[in-house]
Amino acid sequence: MSEHRIDITVNGRRHTATVEARASLGEFLREGLGYTGTHLACEHGVCGACTVRVDGVAVRSCLMLAVQADGCEITTVEGLAAPDGTLHRVQQALQDNFGLQCGFCTPGVAITLAAVLDDDPAATAQDMEAAMSGHVCRCTGYQGIRRAIRQLAGEAV
Amino acid sequence: MSFHASSVGATRYVGERTPRKEDGRLLTGRGQFTDDVQLPGMMHVAYVRSPVARGRIVSIGLDVAREMPGVQAIYTQADLAAIPVQMMSFFFTPIESPVTLLADGRVACVGDPVCMVIAESRAQAEDAAALVELEIEEETALVTIADARTGPLVHPDRDDNVAAEMGDADMLEEVIQPLLDKAPHVVTHTIRHQRIAQSPMECRACVASPEGSGEMTVWVGCQSPHLAARYVALVLGLPQESIRVIAKDVGGGFGLKNIPWREEVAVVVAARLFGRPLKWIEDRYEALTASSHAREQEVTLTIGLDEEGRLLAAWSDYACNNGAWPMGEDANIAVHMFMWPAHKLPAYGFVTRGWYTNTMGLGGYRGPWAMESLIRETTLDKAARKLGIDPVELRRRNLLYLPEQPVTSSMGIEVTDITPGECLEKLVAHVDIAAFRKEQAEARKEGRYLGMGIATYIEPTGSAGAMQPMTGETVHLRIEPTGKVVAMLSTHSQGHGTATTMAQVIADRLGVAYEDIAVFEGDSAIGAFGPGAAGSRQGVIAGGATWRATELLAEKVKAVAAHLSNASVEAVTIAEGMVHVEGAPEMSRSLKELAEIAYGDPARLPEGMASGLEAQFRYQPPPMTMTSAAHCCVVEVDAETGFVKILRWISAEDCGTVINPGVVEGQIAGGLAQAIGQVLLEEMPYDARGNPLAATFKDYLMPTMFDVPDFEYLHANTPSQTIGGMRGVGEGGCIIGPPTLVNAIADALAPFGEIEELTLPLTPARILDVIEQRDVSGRQAQPEKVAAAPVAAPLAPVPEVAEPAPAAPTGSVDGDWDMTLKAPMGGQTFLAHFDTDGAALSGYLSAPEGRQEFSGGMIDNGRMKFEVKVDKPMKITLKYDIQLDGDTITGKCRMGMFGTAKVTAVRPS
Amino acid sequence: MKPAPFDYVRPASIAEACAILSEAGGGATVIAGGQTLMPLLNLRMSQPFILVDINGIAELKGVSRAGGATRIGPATRQAEALRDATLARQLPALVTALGHVGHYQTRNRGTVGGSIALGEPAAEMPATAVALGAEIEIASVRGRRSVKAEEFYLGPYMTVLEPDELVTGITYPDWPEGHVVLFREVAQRPGDFALVGMVGALALEGGSIARAGIAWFGMGPVPVRARQAEAALLGTGLGDIDADAVAALAVADTAPFDDHHASAEYRRTVGKRIFARTLREALDIRSVA
Repeated sequence: MSEHRIDITVNGRRHTATVEARASLGEFLREGLGYTGTHLACEHGVCGACTVRVDGVAVRSCLMLAVQADGCEITTVEGLAAPDGTLHRVQQALQDNFGLQCGFCTPGVAITLAAVLDDDPAATAQDMEAAMSGHVCRCTGYQGIRRAIRQLAGEAV
Repeated sequence: MSFHASSVGATRYVGERTPRKEDGRLLTGRGQFTDDVQLPGMMHVAYVRSPVARGRIVSIGLDVAREMPGVQAIYTQADLAAIPVQMMSFFFTPIESPVTLLADGRVACVGDPVCMVIAESRAQAEDAAALVELEIEEETALVTIADARTGPLVHPDRDDNVAAEMGDADMLEEVIQPLLDKAPHVVTHTIRHQRIAQSPMECRACVASPEGSGEMTVWVGCQSPHLAARYVALVLGLPQESIRVIAKDVGGGFGLKNIPWREEVAVVVAARLFGRPLKWIEDRYEALTASSHAREQEVTLTIGLDEEGRLLAAWSDYACNNGAWPMGEDANIAVHMFMWPAHKLPAYGFVTRGWYTNTMGLGGYRGPWAMESLIRETTLDKAARKLGIDPVELRRRNLLYLPEQPVTSSMGIEVTDITPGECLEKLVAHVDIAAFRKEQAEARKEGRYLGMGIATYIEPTGSAGAMQPMTGETVHLRIEPTGKVVAMLSTHSQGHGTATTMAQVIADRLGVAYEDIAVFEGDSAIGAFGPGAAGSRQGVIAGGATWRATELLAEKVKAVAAHLSNASVEAVTIAEGMVHVEGAPEMSRSLKELAEIAYGDPARLPEGMASGLEAQFRYQPPPMTMTSAAHCCVVEVDAETGFVKILRWISAEDCGTVINPGVVEGQIAGGLAQAIGQVLLEEMPYDARGNPLAATFKDYLMPTMFDVPDFEYLHANTPSQTIGGMRGVGEGGCIIGPPTLVNAIADALAPFGEIEELTLPLTPARILDVIEQRDVSGRQAQPEKVAAAPVAAPLAPVPEVAEPAPAAPTGSVDGDWDMTLKAPMGGQTFLAHFDTDGAALSGYLSAPEGRQEFSGGMIDNGRMKFEVKVDKPMKITLKYDIQLDGDTITGKCRMGMFGTAKVTAVRPS
Repeated sequence: MKPAPFDYVRPASIAEACAILSEAGGGATVIAGGQTLMPLLNLRMSQPFILVDINGIAELKGVSRAGGATRIGPATRQAEALRDATLARQLPALVTALGHVGHYQTRNRGTVGGSIALGEPAAEMPATAVALGAEIEIASVRGRRSVKAEEFYLGPYMTVLEPDELVTGITYPDWPEGHVVLFREVAQRPGDFALVGMVGALALEGGSIARAGIAWFGMGPVPVRARQAEAALLGTGLGDIDADAVAALAVADTAPFDDHHASAEYRRTVGKRIFARTLREALDIRSVA
């Protein structure tokens, strides 16, 4: 099995590492670099818990190899809040609206909503909900997440 | 008790949508889930699992796999057997068909773990696992309940494939059928409930780290670290304190993680053998196909009603698939216990059985007895349509409203303060049913099919004291010298937000800021024993414990302040972290100042008072606290495609005191989403060879945001009898949700016909079956179709229960016997002693827990009848009817609401 | 689960990629977006010796126009294709179908060519290629060839691609401006593969159908072209189209299967209905316009 030297930036911090070809980006972020906020919940690309941003774009980190992220800038859930600890508005909206319970799917949800809003600050609730088709939450029944989305879209919660 | 009465400050926390304490770490990726734990020298585990459902293991070839890079060890059951293990159920009773950690000579289901590979990485462990050469002589698998009834033995050492059974088959002929025969209306309904994969987002996980001389720290995805520690210690025969379980964050449990099961216990055992930390992280493929499953059941209910729709009698025949290795054999007696206590039903009887098959074993899932509501509510709606009575009106005629309570149900459940009827009235007042019926009629003219479903239910919550391990909760509180409050709780959250709700209670009852309270839980070294999230209990019991502990702490604070101020305790109030003395504003002190005195200057405390500011309370609530609800949902069924769209859903639930509406509504919503999944989407099917067919989330359809509507909530708040007045709310949505939705769909489909037999999930194809009145779904092609038992036909007698024979040869019965009672929570073995005096029979039953004397029994030609009154699990009278036959005794024991158990006895060896 | 071990290479050109595939002698698998392949790798259902990552090959990316056709580089991301102005103008049916492929997150990485080359019979992209009459360009060290999409698929996840071959482009012939788009998908949740779906295009001339390309997905082992229906529509005036009869012909070409989500009979029954409805709605809209 081939091994590869990669150079990636995670939440603004640069890392170089040697990775096995088969290591997924999600596994590497967690085990190689200690960004355990990214959760692997299915490893077949359905549940969305492992979603991270790669060069700004939200992708499944279980469906991308670490070696493919060579030279990329990654944002994980640990990189959403401001350095002073102020929550990202997506995180704040999820907390305000009881948008999480066990919190296992939450990192992916937060990353997706942040990506949609960064791409289009005027994104509507419908735009955000459309992106949520790629996330499974077993706890909340999606009520709080949907209210958080409305809050983010400036609608009545 | 009302939570409005308060002697503390004005700031209210109970009843507020206070933001959750857990969110800070979980939203920023800084939670601590089991897979986040990395230890020096830790190795990784992967299991080799059986690819066939049933067979004899001919050989296990490990030579090639052992040579793979990174492989440290490969264990089979022969290796793990070095440490004896006896697996137990959630109720700490032995698993009846003894289950080994790894397969022992035979495999009994696909996914049965056969070997455990230990390697330096998970990937390497999987590489080696793939090269283990497993030769199994495959035998024909029993997959369905129908297979189990007729097929060979799943466990060759057992008499039959009945894993558990309760109920009294004779009661049909003797009591129920005559009532049904006289009933003007008889309605029968059959439900086939699919198999469910619980699917918490975090799969099972375990890290076991041997430390010191025999101690071990175990991180495990569980529903209570205390229970997990006690369970592991118990099954390994170790002192409980030798196992410390840490589970700070767990990504959902839902009953699957009630107890550690084979794989987690195997990791603990292997870590002891291997001497280094081991980690096993279940992957989703394993989680779907090889975690314990839930729900697969078949039930037929027959009800008799009078001309006005009042219930006269009911009979049900229930069966559930226990799989090969259930987490405790189960006939689901609770289905029958809780089917009718809220209704004025004069007579109810049942037979209920669990069956072994060659499928993955049965585990817990939110509201395990939920079938009682599903079958009752759907049958009532079927009856309403048949009788032409409005479904709300039919329920009004049969439900027990508050003024009619207390009563004791036909199965011995004491009903004192349930409110399903009151919830229904609240619901009906909120939903304009007449307007809906008009809209529905108009829509039908346009070929649009709307339906409204209504259901009510009650739920036993906060169970304590009736059976192991259901018990109280402990709260340990202190005000630190800094003035901040620390709470150590026996609770555990897998998303429940117990740190939040308990902190709200403390803030509210003590008069301190929510932010100044730190809560610690999730570690068996913190707090005291509590079974965690099981049976909708933590808000009720830990809530009450926290409530009282906080009051005790407040009393101490007031006593200290009164003493320092030379005032009366009644003059002292606490608000916003300040302690005030009425009429002496200059004597106001912060809690910090008071704490400094209490800790640092104890001479200033009242004489004899311990220093510091601490309080501890363990709350043992009433054995059961009932929650009630009525729900309504509106759907539209697309007659072209059979798709169901949920347009509206209203919940009117009574969970007593609501500590945090955000948390309560979150519990209801999560349960309802799972209910929607069960009715419309989720299914773990097996093929005829015993292969599970939904191996990924592409095939196991979890509800998404698009499948779940916005829920509306009407909170009724009838305080319960517990401290604080809470009622449990964890499971309700998953219990009342399915019938509410099914009733709505059935209402929408009414113009086409009845759903004669409800097979879940109601896929679009199955809905077209009803709309088109033909076989669109291919159901006729399914080989395992089981005919519903005809109402009038006598049901098969309970197997293996020997009817007392009239002229059996008898010897003397006097003396000691080893007696076994096949009870709902597993077999119970005890000593029975009989003394006869002519036809009079007396004696005692003796077990380590205690001895029950009895007298007044009768013996006639070896047939013995006697009664024993017991207090646990509830106050019931056990009515024995047994027959002596030489050196054995067989027969049965009627156990009130628990139905009838099989009894056997032999002379002590 | 973790993938079985493999070597990873990232060629910079088609020639280099083809050379690697040739040398691997069948042991190599191409990865583009990986949104279908990665799950198969993670489940060890696919165990290549060499994984050939074509994301570094610039000539495999982008949308271009050439000779009355639109060409899509196979490594073009689905999300980029969705935003592409040329595709929006030339191939509205493809863009409509793309919106139903996977999810926001998978479209950000998944490619048009990956979906086409894998050949999932219930997926939108293969059927769209068949319906619109696309040609699939294939290269190997042995040379280049082009295959009609309709002839590209042999069975579920089976295509005419030889182990040493690489898809280098998908060329969609132009459809006249203002042609009618047909698309409908019945799936249990957004982003799921279809229980049944249909996609196509109709060109009108003088009030009758001058050109028709329609294909099913989820209705057989491969994307199924509705040949009989197309034939029945060709030359027929809008007023003379019997949508139900055409739909019946369309279903006659299919070979749906039973699985635990839906029966073959369900797929036929509902397929016929959605076909007729889609036809009716599309043509009604057309006649109103």
